Formats: sequence, structure tokens, C-alpha cells
Amino acid sequence: MGLPTLTLLLAAVGFWLMLPRGTSRGRLVGTVLAVVALGLGGSRMPLLGQWMADGMFVCLAAITVVSAGCAVTFRNPVYCAIWFGMSLLGTAGLFLLSGAQFLAVATIIVYAGAILVTFLFVLMLAQPEGKASYDRVSWEAPLAAAAGMVMVGVLSLAIGSVLAPVPAVKGDAAPSVLAAAEVATAIAREEAMSRHILSPDHVAGLGRELFGRHLIALEVAGMLLFVALVGAAVIVAQGRGEREPDGGER
Amino acid sequence: MPHEIALLHNYLIVGAVLFGIGAIGFLSRRNMIVMFISAEMMLQGVSLSLVAWSRFHNDFGGQMLVLFIIAIAACEAAIVLALVIALFQRRGNLDIAQWQFLREANQPEFREEPLPDESGERPEEWPHLPAAGVQPTVSPEEADYRASV
Repeated sequence: MGLPTLTLLLAAVGFWLMLPRGTSRGRLVGTVLAVVALGLGGSRMPLLGQWMADGMFVCLAAITVVSAGCAVTFRNPVYCAIWFGMSLLGTAGLFLLSGAQFLAVATIIVYAGAILVTFLFVLMLAQPEGKASYDRVSWEAPLAAAAGMVMVGVLSLAIGSVLAPVPAVKGDAAPSVLAAAEVATAIAREEAMSRHILSPDHVAGLGRELFGRHLIALEVAGMLLFVALVGAAVIVAQGRGEREPDGGER
Repeated sequence: MPHEIALLHNYLIVGAVLFGIGAIGFLSRRNMIVMFISAEMMLQGVSLSLVAWSRFHNDFGGQMLVLFIIAIAACEAAIVLALVIALFQRRGNLDIAQWQFLREANQPEFREEPLPDESGERPEEWPHLPAAGVQPTVSPEEADYRASV
């Protein structure tokens, strides 16, 4: 119980020091604290037992989490967007590692290719010269860091308590008959696994599911995309139209 | 099957960490674009958990949900960026504190303190290009012509 709490405390203090506070003092200390917390947290991850899968997972997870931390704490919003793109690439790698090939590619195309580029366009339109004061001072950095890390702590506690009993039950199955049954179910399950999610024609199965069970949701999502497009055009046009009467407000 | 459980556990933890980091950014940053990036990061954390559960249960439902999350995120990005541009045209910057009059009546006002002096911080250094090649010589008549043009 002590080590996870210490990890979260270190991470919260590190994030507090790393977030923009108007001064650059303590950022290095914050970075060191956050990296130590990341190492402590990573060392407690259960390993899979295959060094290849472990190495891939650890590399991708480290890329994802470190880029996410950079994206939140950098002061220049352009760097934030670039680091967010890096984090998206890491997430796509994790998707791929988990067998979701189509989602990995869709994440890269839609998020990193479209949404991120739109962010960069808006930043280029709207970013003032030099560092803006609102990028250098944040709201309530200690409270925000504490709240975020408390959320991580509660979530990981819940995850641990949900997943912990299952391996213990599996470990108790000592009698040979039970073990044989276990092996049989494991083999059956492996077969089912290879039939469904991890099979080579994974994308075909995904499409069958998408256009079969979720056809109505798909149509609604298409409608929603169209409505969002029209809505965005309307919002921009109205904002421009109302600017002239109260233009002196800024 | 401890292997599957360990994989699920790792993915869920990474998803939770992404969610928490996004929450920190959303709560503390004041640039509207960075706030939106943080919100997208929280969505990524949830997507990671859903993909892990989908693999664990050997069911396409989680991946379907992530697919729809991506579609909704695209809609959301269009709307939010349109709103950000409209707000930027009203106030001239991306500071969310410009809109704090929308807060609840009993909340204290956020006052911007004057920034501490950044004397300890070096100014940004840009690379200097060394001079390369030789200065072209210009004949007197050409110089005269150029001056007249």
C-alpha cells in the first residue's frame, strides 16, 4: 500500500512543478520526480513472461505516457499539439499490439492526420506573437495535479481489486482432473480467440459486426457527422456576423 | 489464464494514467486548444481500456465503441474548433479566463497576477546562418541603373 501511494504523491508533486506557473524554477525537479514516479509505477506492472511482448508493451506505454505528460505540461501550445500526436502514435501502437489493427490505422488517419492538423491550423490562426501570458500561468496547478492523481489512484485500486481474485482461483485448481478440464477449456478458448479477434481476417469480422449488429448506429454516426459539419459552419458564420456590433469589446 | 489477465491489467493501468493526465491538463491549462487536447487525451485513455476489454472478452463490442468514439471525436473537433474561432474573434485571444463571467454567482473571480520576472530564463536562441559565398561585385553602370530604377 505504501509504494503506490508514494508513486502517486511523487507524480502529483512532479506534475505540479512541471505545469506552467509563470516561473521556470523547479521544472527540472518536477520532471525528475515524474520520471521516478513513472519508473516506480512501471516496475509494479505484472509482466507477461515473453520478453518480446513485454518489451514492445513497455516501450509503447512509455512513449504514450511520457508524450501525454509533455503534451499537458509544455508551455508552447504548438509543442503540446506535436506531443499529443506522438502520444496518439503510441496509442495506435498499443492498439496494434492488442490486435485492433483497423483501429490503430483509423486512429492515425483520423486523429493524427485530420484532427491534429486542424488544431495546428487553428493555432496558427489564433496564436499571438511570442509566449502568451495565459500559456505561462495555469489555474490551480497543485489542486489539478492532486485531483488527477487521486483519480488515477482510485482507478488503479478498482482495477486491481477487480482483477486480483481471478489468478488466485486459477492457481488453486490443483487436482489433475480439474487441470485437464482447465487445459481443455484453455485450448477451446484459444481456438475461439483465433477464430475471432486475433484472426488474420480480423478486419472482415469487424466489418461484418459493424454493418450487421451496429448498422443503425453507423447510420446515426454518419448523420451526426453531417450535422456537425453544418453546425460548425453556422457557428463560425454567426460568430463573424456578431463581431461588428460589439467589435470594440476586446 | 494469467497472461491475458496481466495484459488486461497493464492496458487498463495505462488507460487510467492517460485519463488522469488528460484530467490534469483539462483542469489546469488556460489555453482553449490545450484544454481540448487534454479532453481528447482522456478519450484516448477510455479507448485503450475498451480495446483491452474487447481483447479479453473476445468480443468486437469494445472495438465498435472505439470506432464510434473516433467518429464522435471528429464531430466534436469540428464543433469545438468552430467555437474556439468564434470566441477568438470576440476577444482576440485563446484565454479561457476571458469568459469567466459565465461562472456561478458565488465563485471568486480569477485575477491575473503580474508575471514574475523571467530573468533566470534565457531568451530563445535561433540559429544564425553563417555568411556563405562572396559578395557579388556590381559594375558602376549597373549600380547607376539600379539606383535610377
